[in-house]
Amino acid sequence: MDELEFRRTLYADPNSTDEGVLAAIAEDPKKQEFCKELKQLDKNMHQASQVKVPDDLVNKLILRQTMQSHKSSKLRNRIQLAMAASVAFVVGVSFTMWQQNNLLDLSKQAIAHVHYEGDYALDAQENVSLQQVNAKLAKFGGKFSEDIGRVYYANFCDFENVRSLHMVVEGENGKVSVFVVPHDDNHLAEGSSRDTRYNSQAIDLKRASIIVVGEEGANINKMKEQLQRKIQFSA
Amino acid sequence: MFSRKQNSQASVSSDMANKQKRYEVLVLALHTDIFRYAYWLVKDKAVAEDIVQETFLRAWKSLDSLKDEKAAKSWLITILRRENARRFERKRFDLVDIDDVSVIDDQLSNEVEIEHRELRAIMASLSEEYREPLMLQIVFGYSGDEIAQQLNLNKNTVMTRLFRARNQVKEALDKANDDRGRKNG
Repeated sequence: MDELEFRRTLYADPNSTDEGVLAAIAEDPKKQEFCKELKQLDKNMHQASQVKVPDDLVNKLILRQTMQSHKSSKLRNRIQLAMAASVAFVVGVSFTMWQQNNLLDLSKQAIAHVHYEGDYALDAQENVSLQQVNAKLAKFGGKFSEDIGRVYYANFCDFENVRSLHMVVEGENGKVSVFVVPHDDNHLAEGSSRDTRYNSQAIDLKRASIIVVGEEGANINKMKEQLQRKIQFSA
Repeated sequence: MFSRKQNSQASVSSDMANKQKRYEVLVLALHTDIFRYAYWLVKDKAVAEDIVQETFLRAWKSLDSLKDEKAAKSWLITILRRENARRFERKRFDLVDIDDVSVIDDQLSNEVEIEHRELRAIMASLSEEYREPLMLQIVFGYSGDEIAQQLNLNKNTVMTRLFRARNQVKEALDKANDDRGRKNG
């Protein structure tokens, strides 16, 4: 190992364990001295490098991380809260929509009702006076201001758990069933329905809905308009 | 269902407690070395402190990725060097020259302190490519291989830089001694 390489190696690492270097040191007291010097320099540099560390650095490091994790856990809580809120929101919205989808279509229900009752009401041959009809209508706060033609039947019935007035009146082409159903949140009282035998039309009035059901061919539209015109509800 | 939830929550918080403990051990064991490393990298105490804080914050966030505690030191140095590089992306700080700042270390006697101050100024005057491997060797006791690995350099390069670093330090010291000799004489 020549002088230059020796110095290079020791300069790069005074604690070199290179065999050539160690041998050279062992042989030559001057090199020993040189190595000692370098090690002393390293020691000095090491001491000089030991700058004072700020006293509060440890605390700062730990505190900052604690704040950080606190912040992120708060954020996590917020996210969880937001998720819960949106779930609740979706549940609320879909429940409302489900309820709306489940509204009872009165025009359909009226046809079903007529089918179910069969001929019991339709075959009735009473002659109910306007006063009697009005007396019953008074329950719903309504009355007919004019004669509505012959009334064969007028009685309270149960319309999907809502107490209603069921009438059978004389129409243009035969008997027409008329229902007066007080308002209920679950009712959808607009529109019309038909099946193989009956047509029906519903209309929403001030305090009750009127549904007119007639056989195919009966002019239920006219009946509906006539009733709508003649019925009056107290405020 | 509820009891399961509670259990998992309990294990989450015990995980957190574990992590916290691990982190604190890491801070206590290494913050001194890391701070000094940062200091010699940037030569400014305030900046070094900032970088060290950022470094440990990042370390906390990705503590789970540190599998081997023995690798913690070099892991932190890697983070710190990245933080330092990022600092230059953000903005260039006005670095304070080491000569202008008194780096106080009061335990030592005056004469030794003067010597150290001189040595510090010399070390600080080395360019970064020399200073950094030298500090890894002196402060952390890294071998040439370890330095090469840490700095992503090949070993020959590292050894050459170390040689030049010491060479420069020695020359500067000799020059300072000459100057002093002349002044005094």
